[in-house]
Amino acid sequence: MNQNLPFTPKLLERCISCGYCLPACPTYVITQEEISSPRGRINLMRAVQIGELSIDQTLEQSSYCLGCRACESVCPAGVEYGTLLEEWRSAAWQGKNRNLILKLLLFAVNQSWRVRLLGIFNPRNFQKSKWNEYSIMLGCFERGLFPNVSAAAQKNLSINVNGNQGCCGALHAHNGELARGKEMAKKLGEQLPGKIITTSGGCAAHLASVIGKDRVFEYSEVLFNQVDLLKPVLINGEKARVALQDSCHLRHGLQIYQQPRAILKQIADFVELPGASDCCGAAGTYAILRARDSKKVFDKKAKEIEKLNLDFIISVNPGCTRQLATQLKRRKIKTKVMHIAEFVALSNSINA
Amino acid sequence: MDLKALTQLLGEKVKTDPVTLTAFSTDATPEFKATPEAVVFAESRDDVVKLIQFANENKVPVITRGAGSNLAAATVPITGGIILVMTKLNRILEISKSEMLAVVEPAVTNVNLDNAAAEYGLMYPPDPGSKTVSTIGGNIATCAGGLRGLKYGVTRNYVLGLEVVLGTGEVINTGSRMVKDVAGYDITRLLVGSEGTLGVITKATVALRPRPTISKYGVAYFKTLADASVAVDAIVGAGILPATLEFLDQVCINAVEKFAAIGLDTSAGALLLFGEDGDSDDVEIKTQQMADICANPAGVISVTRAKNVVEADQLLFARRCALPALAREASLAVSEDICVPRPLLAETVAKIAEISKARQLKIGVFGHAGDGNLHPKVLADINDPAEVARLHAALDDIFNLALDMGGTITGEHGVGIAKLPYLERKVGKEQMYLFRRIKSAFDPNGILNPGKTGS
Ligand SMILES: Cc1cc2nc3c(=O)[nH]c(=O)nc-3n(C[C@H](O)[C@H](O)[C@H](O)COP(=O)(O)OP(=O)(O)OC[C@H]3O[C@@H](n4cnc5c(N)ncnc54)[C@H](O)[C@@H]3O)c2cc1C
Ligand code: SF4
Ligand code: SF4
Repeated sequence: MNQNLPFTPKLLERCISCGYCLPACPTYVITQEEISSPRGRINLMRAVQIGELSIDQTLEQSSYCLGCRACESVCPAGVEYGTLLEEWRSAAWQGKNRNLILKLLLFAVNQSWRVRLLGIFNPRNFQKSKWNEYSIMLGCFERGLFPNVSAAAQKNLSINVNGNQGCCGALHAHNGELARGKEMAKKLGEQLPGKIITTSGGCAAHLASVIGKDRVFEYSEVLFNQVDLLKPVLINGEKARVALQDSCHLRHGLQIYQQPRAILKQIADFVELPGASDCCGAAGTYAILRARDSKKVFDKKAKEIEKLNLDFIISVNPGCTRQLATQLKRRKIKTKVMHIAEFVALSNSINA
Repeated sequence: MDLKALTQLLGEKVKTDPVTLTAFSTDATPEFKATPEAVVFAESRDDVVKLIQFANENKVPVITRGAGSNLAAATVPITGGIILVMTKLNRILEISKSEMLAVVEPAVTNVNLDNAAAEYGLMYPPDPGSKTVSTIGGNIATCAGGLRGLKYGVTRNYVLGLEVVLGTGEVINTGSRMVKDVAGYDITRLLVGSEGTLGVITKATVALRPRPTISKYGVAYFKTLADASVAVDAIVGAGILPATLEFLDQVCINAVEKFAAIGLDTSAGALLLFGEDGDSDDVEIKTQQMADICANPAGVISVTRAKNVVEADQLLFARRCALPALAREASLAVSEDICVPRPLLAETVAKIAEISKARQLKIGVFGHAGDGNLHPKVLADINDPAEVARLHAALDDIFNLALDMGGTITGEHGVGIAKLPYLERKVGKEQMYLFRRIKSAFDPNGILNPGKTGS
């Protein structure tokens, strides 16, 4: 392969422009314009690959794309759009094209010690846990913003925590630093030998893509094994009414979406949110870098959530928790937002 | 072309940036690519009229485009010009339950129309494999078929009336809301399958049918596609006209199973999907009859009935994904669309297998078996020029085979550019001349999708 080509040729060749992915793409649904569809974007990548367009000309579309990978799940030809997007951003988002906020974000999580500063966490040790071979991954921003999530997961599963761990590098991989993102995942894999549990769908998919799926488990995937032992979450004596917002990369990257549903069905009055698998607009750094578009993507979801009259909308990824909470609050919708680990903790559940 | 004047006329709806132009340089047809000079997103019929008047005055080609899912390079701007994109005209204007019809803007997707009809207990029967993306305008302009063609017919059977902008900018309304209307020439039918060369469809009135309440499916595996073809002929020969009779060969079964993972028998040489729909016990009787007939021909491996709707939907979904899923098998995959008289199906598929051997290329064959409509997909390595040359030779063999069998070069995908070289052999010189005279009556300056189909 020619080292100077921005894209792996085999990945680009796969797309046959059938258009099956168009209706699944949130940005295409909003604009109805080819350039903001997966097929259109792949066409742009091809033009860059053969020098018909400069990488700078495609900058806007590389950033308007949510990176949600909904297009991958529906693509019968097996196009690995997520990888193509990582390659695209790694080529495009360099030098002057690099957003300042993004630089700061990535800098903040670049080293383990900086990650540790993001949140103070009390490592615990459970001597007789059946999950001893697992360690829990704390995440970077999750540590700072939602320390309760890891704490809840840790409690639910009675699992060991090693405080000395860095960021998995998903943020880097998705934002134009693919090589660094892979390096960080490898490092984390060394810091946490054996099997790793994460409460973040996005991190799970990235980490798995680097160190192998056999070592990486998402929280609900693990808890699913003891779903029968879970007790219900009651509000005034009735099961709480909940729906799930999928994590894009968990669903489209790792095909994990039945397990969190099974858990919620066991402990709550679960209803399926229409478009649960559609991106909420959090999309990693998207909600920060493209706040207006992120809000637009959420518009449809807000209506759908409001209609269901829920007690809780449950997420499986910290970025989604943040987006759901911010966007619902902005629209004065009262539905509470909670990560699945915290919700399970409400069921004063198990200690197996 | 005076792009400034065009932008003055239609403002923001005109795009001339290289990024947008690139995105419209291809459709779903492999190997064809050309960049337009401008792209216009129409938001109303008036936009279309203004654009066509401009193009007519300036003699600039206009290539109308729906979802760009066609497989005949019908929307590739080989002559340059303007791509007229209809995707923003996507509203369903009316569904009349008592008249059993819908009035739609051209870029409503096939599946959105059918879903809307379902709320009234109705359905829109033509269901091309591309139904989630392809538009009603595109379906009409290609006379799209689908998986229910045998029993329900194809797009041409469902178009009642059209609002069309001609190549001169004049607006006409063809047909009406009635099933019966013989006032004048049947211009509606002429526009069906006209591939954007005679006019731009800006509104369509289409017939709906009562939605069947029961549907039953089954699957039979055979050693070869020819064995399956014998069963197909036997089913229709027994007087059964089922909703679905679709088949896949082993290459396709494998590709689909890789994507859908629904437990297809990948060791079998062919899969035949049969199904019937309706509202009475008759559905069960017919489906069982088909299962019994399938159990008889030589080469049958197994026959099973789908246990429930979920299983049946999975089978249909698998069939619909055959075409794109085949892209997994090679870097270049060209899909054809020949149609032969049903009794010659077995002989035709056997000959395609011979072509595959002679040209040393993998060919995946699937199709609407009940209609005699075959989609052989020829696979090659795009980076191997010798193989690509053999691919073209194989396609040539396949077209000639279809014509030798008394069949046609395209059953439902259209002529576009891709099949133009074979058109005259199919229809004859005199008809080619007639095509041109018809074309100039609708579009005297030849601005509408020039260089395609009969133009
Ligand atoms: C995976 C796959 C499966 C398919 N399966 C089937 C199948 O089962 N059966 C089948 O028949 N086809 C099938 N097709 C082919 C294709 O989907 C159909 O030809 C479809 O009708 C094209 O619709 P479109 O909206 O994509 O039109 P486009 O591709 O955009 O255009 C097709 C033609 O229609 C013209 N056109 C579009 N809109 C208008 C308008 N408003 N006014 C005038 N002219 C217009 C264009 O100029 C062009 O000539 C398949 C394609 C793919 C990729
Ligand atoms: S990405 Fe997949 S679904 Fe989308 S156009 Fe390409 S092949 Fe088709
Ligand atoms: S990743 Fe999401 S937003 Fe980007 S092209 Fe795919 S479906 Fe569209």
